Amino acid sequence: MATGPLRDPENRVSPKAVKLWLLEALVGFVLLVSGAVLLARWIPSWSWLPEWLSGNSWLLVAGVLVLATPPLVAEPFVRYAVHRWELSADVVFARSGFLTREWVFVPVSRIQTVDKAQGWFERMLGLATLEIRTASHSGSSTIKGLDYLVAAELAERLARRAEELRDDAT
Amino acid sequence: MSEVPEIATSAPRKLHPKVLLIAPVKMLPSLIVPLVGVLLVGGFSVRSYAFAAFGVLATVVFAVLRWATFNYEIVGDRLEIRRSLVSRSVRTIPLERIRGVDVSTPPMHRLLGLSVVKIDTGAGGKGTEEGELDGVTVQEAERLKSVLLRRARAAHTPLPTALGTAPPGDPTASPGTPSPGAESGAVTSGAGPSAASAGVGDVPGGEEPEERVIFKVPRTWLAYGPLSGAYLLTPFALAGGAIGLSFQWGNELGLGGDLAVSAGQWLWERPYLLLVAAVLLVVAMPFVGVVMYAVFNWDFTLKERGGYLVAERGLVTRRSVSLEARRVRGYEIVDSLAERWKGVARTWAIVTGLGDSETRGQLLPVVPRPVAHEVTDNAVGPFTAPLRPHPPVARNRRLFRAIVPWLVLALAAALAAWVTAQPLWWIPAIAALILAGLGVPLGLDRYRSLGHGYDGRRLSVRSGSVRRAQAVIERRAVVGWRLRQTWFQRRAGVLTLIVGVGAGKGGYEAIDVSEDQSVAFPTEVTPDWLTPFRT
Repeated sequence: MATGPLRDPENRVSPKAVKLWLLEALVGFVLLVSGAVLLARWIPSWSWLPEWLSGNSWLLVAGVLVLATPPLVAEPFVRYAVHRWELSADVVFARSGFLTREWVFVPVSRIQTVDKAQGWFERMLGLATLEIRTASHSGSSTIKGLDYLVAAELAERLARRAEELRDDAT
Repeated sequence: MSEVPEIATSAPRKLHPKVLLIAPVKMLPSLIVPLVGVLLVGGFSVRSYAFAAFGVLATVVFAVLRWATFNYEIVGDRLEIRRSLVSRSVRTIPLERIRGVDVSTPPMHRLLGLSVVKIDTGAGGKGTEEGELDGVTVQEAERLKSVLLRRARAAHTPLPTALGTAPPGDPTASPGTPSPGAESGAVTSGAGPSAASAGVGDVPGGEEPEERVIFKVPRTWLAYGPLSGAYLLTPFALAGGAIGLSFQWGNELGLGGDLAVSAGQWLWERPYLLLVAAVLLVVAMPFVGVVMYAVFNWDFTLKERGGYLVAERGLVTRRSVSLEARRVRGYEIVDSLAERWKGVARTWAIVTGLGDSETRGQLLPVVPRPVAHEVTDNAVGPFTAPLRPHPPVARNRRLFRAIVPWLVLALAAALAAWVTAQPLWWIPAIAALILAGLGVPLGLDRYRSLGHGYDGRRLSVRSGSVRRAQAVIERRAVVGWRLRQTWFQRRAGVLTLIVGVGAGKGGYEAIDVSEDQSVAFPTEVTPDWLTPFRT
């Protein structure tokens, strides 16, 4: 998992995050499939399509199911393996992503605000998302799927440390 | 404007009454259409004239009311803008938050000797936190500019304004210490000779900061304008706008769609007319481009005044944008293919907390490269290190991206031609094939552009071909790093490295660096941040 010169961040996110990603992926999956079903029922009325296509519109639904199921199953577990974070030497190091991976380094001295946010599913599962903001969007980090208590403690620690280190770098 | 110099800043002020002449004229275009409609529908009867007159009167009354209920005042360390037309609202802008004051003079304002003052607070959102004073005299605008900026500057430093000392820690303010009683040169955006004295009189003990012209762009260089490509499409935009407008007005005048359809048919039967129009538009491109560019960038002058970089430009609307030199963190130098061929480039400053930095941050319009570098070396500082190339696999990726999509399109069109036996399909097929061929030099050039470097104080990243951009950023402006790797990049063993900067666009990318470079470069610039996480 480590790419060449970088080591893994120390901490995994909460194991409950797997459920969170599964729920979120399911919502998208259901929307996608129901969209495909609606389209499949509508297609037979399109007169400009050749017979063999408009007659077999269920193929669309089947195709969507075949294509969308593997990522639905894989995403939560891949994400759980990839998403990790660490706070060392006054730098937050976080890794995230599924198909596209991201590594973010945010020094605590440049942090402007630390927020913790909870969506519906997150509240249900007792999870929280930590949003670490600097003056730049690219230099900001979002750590998802943390246990609520861990997130609260980390937010508190970051905010306190950021205040101690505050220098005028915007 | 300032009859009472001592307390000039502590009484509510109104916009200049002359602005009342502007408001109804500005509203005219939106009035004409309904007016014409009323006149047409109602016939030329007394009643329709009454309606029309009522409309005009209402506009004027509205403008007067708005003027009468609007005032602004500098209260202590903040600027208050009050409106009480519909509901009472007070917008309070703390002076310390003011990042820049932007004075512009649209044509009608210029006729009347007025200016529009925009106050930039660097609040990310558009409009919410900004202040606009539309219609103060040119002198008042200059006074406001100097007072607001001086206060803003003073608020950043512990020194009280009354001492009239230039704030320390202002390395770029060249003759930063203003000589007592020195008046600003009256070269400022059409300001009358009284501008400087008004500024001096208003703040007791305050002095006008000295002004120095860093660079004035010669008029002959306006010819470089169309090379950027930005203004080349203006003939088409103008034609499109005219057609859209005629449709809209046609509808309002009851000329309806039938006429449009028949006009279209008439044109369709005479394709040579369309061809002539198209050729005319294409031929007009460079000329209209030069004219438009000249209108916006006429007499571009970059000055330095009391710790501010002031960029003035424009023929019809004269704009003056002030950037606090202390907040400049770097620059971005951009050139198109044609500009590179001519050896010219455009320059933007990378400034912290500047909203709308694309238009406001412009340091220089199209000027020869050496001149651009001279000015940026002066205003920001030189970047001396060479740019390091990115790994060869990045070249393959650039080539793939520049060629393959067109190749796929060509194949699809060829397939369609073969299946449908329609020879017309060969046209897009061949066009796509030509574009795929052009992708070879384009991809190679894109690869050649890629680079990153660090000279110990500033870092730089460069990318792009048709629009090549090189950003040079001070080390202290870096607030974080982000590495991104798509699935394809993972297979190729490269990453995109994004420098998080608390200024300008916020993030500057080094595309397709190798895995070693992706960690080595941030470690080189900010050693403390990444070392703990290296294997």
